[in-house]
Amino acid sequence: MSDNHIIRMKDVSIGFNNNKPLMSSLNLEIYSGEIVAIAGPSGIGKTTMLKTIAGLVPPLNGIVEVCGSIIPKHPPRGSLGYIPQRLGLVRHASVYHNVMMGALAGHASRWFPYSPEVRRLTLESITLMGIEDKIRTPIRKLSGGQQRRVATARTLAQRPSVILADEFLGELDEETMNSVMFAVKNYIQQNNATLLVVEHDIGRAKTLADRLLLMDDGRLNPFITDPIVMEVKQS
Amino acid sequence: MKESTGALSFKDSLIVVWFSTRWFILFGFLFWLTMAVANGMVDDWGRLTNGGANLIIFIEESLWPPDWSVLEPQSYPPCVVAPGLQFTCSTAWIGLVETIKIAFVSTVFGTIISFPISLLAARNLNSIWLSYPARFILAASRSLPSLIWAIFFVILVGLGPLSGILAMTVYTVGYLGKLQYEAIEGISREPLEASLAMGHSWFERSLGVVLPESANGLISQTIFMLEYNFRHGTVIGIVGAGGIGYYINLYLKFLQYDKVIAYLMIIFVVVLLLDLLSIKARSVFTEDANISRPPWWGILLPDAMMDFLKPK
Repeated sequence: MSDNHIIRMKDVSIGFNNNKPLMSSLNLEIYSGEIVAIAGPSGIGKTTMLKTIAGLVPPLNGIVEVCGSIIPKHPPRGSLGYIPQRLGLVRHASVYHNVMMGALAGHASRWFPYSPEVRRLTLESITLMGIEDKIRTPIRKLSGGQQRRVATARTLAQRPSVILADEFLGELDEETMNSVMFAVKNYIQQNNATLLVVEHDIGRAKTLADRLLLMDDGRLNPFITDPIVMEVKQS
Repeated sequence: MKESTGALSFKDSLIVVWFSTRWFILFGFLFWLTMAVANGMVDDWGRLTNGGANLIIFIEESLWPPDWSVLEPQSYPPCVVAPGLQFTCSTAWIGLVETIKIAFVSTVFGTIISFPISLLAARNLNSIWLSYPARFILAASRSLPSLIWAIFFVILVGLGPLSGILAMTVYTVGYLGKLQYEAIEGISREPLEASLAMGHSWFERSLGVVLPESANGLISQTIFMLEYNFRHGTVIGIVGAGGIGYYINLYLKFLQYDKVIAYLMIIFVVVLLLDLLSIKARSVFTEDANISRPPWWGILLPDAMMDFLKPK
């Protein structure tokens, strides 16, 4: 199993200050097709860890490997999808533009953008998230829940191998959350992709993830509620 | 638990006095410093008392009434327009239209040139190795006022609107470029981070994220720049770079101040109109464009009168 890891962290320290790392000696391997959730108290470094894997914050120590590239080398274009906590949408642009930016990263040459394939994937993802009636609406005019669906559509249009998501299910009503969760899980299963999600709601994290890790005391531990289940998973 | 006596120590009292009066003290110090600096430069404050009387004499003898013959057609070349449009052959109209044309062309050229430079100058898009040279170019082009650039270009390409366009374009690049890169640096970090993580190229990030995210600010600044260029365009004519300033300078040389005041009043009206148009146009591109705004005449009328005039 260790051969097909898609994310690997070896003896990694994360944070912004060498003298005060948020987490030290992090060791983690995530495999293709897995959904992994990270939970933990606020301010402990969950978002920083996600940003470190995304190549946005350099690790203080250790090796971070994503899709075969060792950070700071960026993984191949379009292979990494990222949904930040505040979604990172272009507020003054339309839903179509935002989702198209995802499709562009995944399916177009950087010199010849806007192919029919980009258009098809953009429309497909918008329809999948049920926001086709808002296609020309600027993001700033959408509700928080609708914006979350746009951010998810952007990542699905990209069709990445790894999705890093920071609390992307927050602010969604029960029905929408289930449909978004279903669409993302479906994508992961069909494409043998990987989802690493930061989730403060442990109940939701357990429903979504195959593996739940708890960040606490400067370490990353498996979340153990049922020792037998965890034993089976670890084996 | 130790009981409080209620009395403050001398040090605590000083701290309390400082925090409650610090703004008065700082303002007082600033005012004192300003007066001390001004006092060093002015040898005789008594000269101020003559200023008012001199102004009245100047207005009565030279400025007033304005000579509106500047709106009459020139004797040569012959005016061949309809009788109601004779004013379009006047020096005021010709100069004004030329100034507006210079302002328009230089704003468009300046915007086209400054945008790519400001993208390079933005620290959130580039390393200091790219952004500092770009900032140096922008700083260099705005370090001289457009009037000095106009003198420079008059020497290079001769008298006329071309040197005005070149001078204003160079100044626009520097001034607008600074506004633009500050607007770009002010955009939210998250869309940029998402774009970086997705693997977009620098061009894709600039056109797909930076441009739409800062577009409102950029358009608003460009409209402001057009208005600014018109106001400055009236000055550069003084050194022979075209526009209404040429005529102002001409009549200044002949001490015909009544004609100069007529030109200045025309410029004032046009600047006011341009300012109103600019406010209106910019309001379309600001964040909350869909909220109701007061009408343009609301700027001039008190609230009570506006309520009375509102359609019921």
